[in-house]
Amino acid sequence: MSRRKTLDIPLNRTEGDLELRVEVHDNIVVDAWSRGTMYRGFENMLLGRGALDGLVVTPRICGICTTTHLMAAAKALDAVAGVTPPDNARRLRNLALMTEHVQSDLRQALLMFMADFANPAHKGLALYDEAVARYAPLRGTSAVEAIRQTKKILEIIAVIGGQWPHASFMIPGGVTHRPGAVEILNCRMVLRRFRQWYEDQILGCSIERWREVASAADLEAWLDASEAHRDGDVGFFIRFAGAIGLDAVGAGHGTFLSFGSLDMPDATAVPGRGATLLPAGFAAGIEVQPFDGAAVAEHCGHSWFEGAAHPQHPFASQTVPYASGEEQDRYSWIKAPRYRERPAETGPLAEAVVAGDPLFRDLIAAAGPNALARQLARLVRPATLLPAMETWLDELAADDNGGHYQSVASMPDGEGAGLIEAARGALGHWVRIRDGRIAHYQIITPTSWNASPRDDAGVRGPWEEALIGCEVRDAGNPVELGYVVRSFDPCLVCSVHTLEGGRSRGRVRLGV
Amino acid sequence: MGCRARIVCVGNRLVAGDNAGPRVHDHLVRRRLPAGLEVVDGGLAGLNLLRLAEGARRLVFVDQVRGFAPPDAVVVLTREAALAGGGAAGFGHGGGLGYLLAALPAACEGPLPAVRVVGLEAPCTGAAVARAAALALAAAVPQARS
Repeated sequence: MSRRKTLDIPLNRTEGDLELRVEVHDNIVVDAWSRGTMYRGFENMLLGRGALDGLVVTPRICGICTTTHLMAAAKALDAVAGVTPPDNARRLRNLALMTEHVQSDLRQALLMFMADFANPAHKGLALYDEAVARYAPLRGTSAVEAIRQTKKILEIIAVIGGQWPHASFMIPGGVTHRPGAVEILNCRMVLRRFRQWYEDQILGCSIERWREVASAADLEAWLDASEAHRDGDVGFFIRFAGAIGLDAVGAGHGTFLSFGSLDMPDATAVPGRGATLLPAGFAAGIEVQPFDGAAVAEHCGHSWFEGAAHPQHPFASQTVPYASGEEQDRYSWIKAPRYRERPAETGPLAEAVVAGDPLFRDLIAAAGPNALARQLARLVRPATLLPAMETWLDELAADDNGGHYQSVASMPDGEGAGLIEAARGALGHWVRIRDGRIAHYQIITPTSWNASPRDDAGVRGPWEEALIGCEVRDAGNPVELGYVVRSFDPCLVCSVHTLEGGRSRGRVRLGV
Repeated sequence: MGCRARIVCVGNRLVAGDNAGPRVHDHLVRRRLPAGLEVVDGGLAGLNLLRLAEGARRLVFVDQVRGFAPPDAVVVLTREAALAGGGAAGFGHGGGLGYLLAALPAACEGPLPAVRVVGLEAPCTGAAVARAAALALAAAVPQARS
């Protein structure tokens, strides 16, 4: 007879609105259910409001991705208005979004993911003491320095947005604030210092040297080439993650989705192959297909939402809570978004695969997706973003006549989608305006993709699938499950955060 | 950053269970504030609020709390007392105030300001919001009280 007990692990560290239930047989996970336990419903909050209100409301969905939601909301309204922001507006929007990305990437890696390297589960490992010295929360050297450095880079958003917090500087047609030459120079200095830290401490080499790493063999050679490479946080991550077998867990479905992001200015020195710096696409394995926005649909069969008989595109779907029974089938406050009826993981690894990054294509081709590759992609994404940020700042400094606003006299009725890449992957806002008011708003966040429950066909969501086969060595401290889920960088929380006298953490229910 | 004191109100004004801080903010900015005092709607900025700790001699956070006092009470806590529950052990995506408070000594550049947390226990009635505003003001600018 099955015996169940509930264990606490800090999946979301302090908030506790993610629950996993896993079924374990002989210490191996054989099934998993991912439950979002919080109804949010921001979409319903927007109905009937003024056409531009998404610019103010949606950045408050999340405390980390404020600029990201602002960007998606602004792009959706760009589409409604039929306007293309001028070059400098694109640069300024991109710079703010990229600042949020690089900040999030390094905080997630050094403060969240690698904090578990200091978990007592790893005490027997030769690298354990060093891991504690580097990543123990609030005292590890790398952890503390990450807090300090990621605090400083935020100044770029404050300058571009004209204020902080609540910088609502993106509007349909462009941006409201054009920084002056001195402000751009200030941003350039902040970025230069951040890059210096990233190269010295995180990579242990220049970005240019890192970008020469184009295969699994190159990665091995890079690691062996220099003590600085091995001692950087990327090098340490590879050594530690390899030692605990993170390259052998967390495979998932092997399908990847990127909405594409960062609109390229018409005239720029930043190299790119298309309209966006990060291309859009869907990949099964490493075979990339063009992205089709019409192929996105939301399933509700296992979610506590009313759903139509068939999955619906976000322009048609609603967010209507439905929690009256059917507990056996419905188990999450997250819908199940699918692309061409398939689940897909999203995030830095998906971006790399879709973009044809040779290192990650090689890693995936050789060993399939895994927690190590997924987390490595996040840790090194700034190596792609930082040089482009520098170039766009230089271009802003050299030409302040590139325009920052394409006039939108009034918002017409219509519908539009703002599809971008958030720090955690594909983010979409779908809006319809009628009589100057919001008649429809749907949002699909990256975690909705990654943490989705089963779809109408009963197919598991990406991290539900990624947990299958994971060994749980100690049911009292199932750190392995945390690595798998956290490699997707879950972000379900952010809307309710009270300071608590006691601790509140995510739970894993182990059937043993 | 030349202010003497800063009150940072934390929370999401769009979420009923988390809007106590913004309500105190709105209460405060409607009145004449002493010179050298800044009142900031910190929203959900979490760890990013570290910037606001720098340059101020006194720093007061206002947020909803749980488990510190009876319902609808308002408490004034030191940084150490606010951390006593141990909720700051890890970094949360919510950017919890506990983590921010714990990180302050290591991450704050320049002198560490004197920190207080004005905490509101649910249900955070209007009277509690007014009380919290007065307590925050007193904690930020003690001489203003007399």
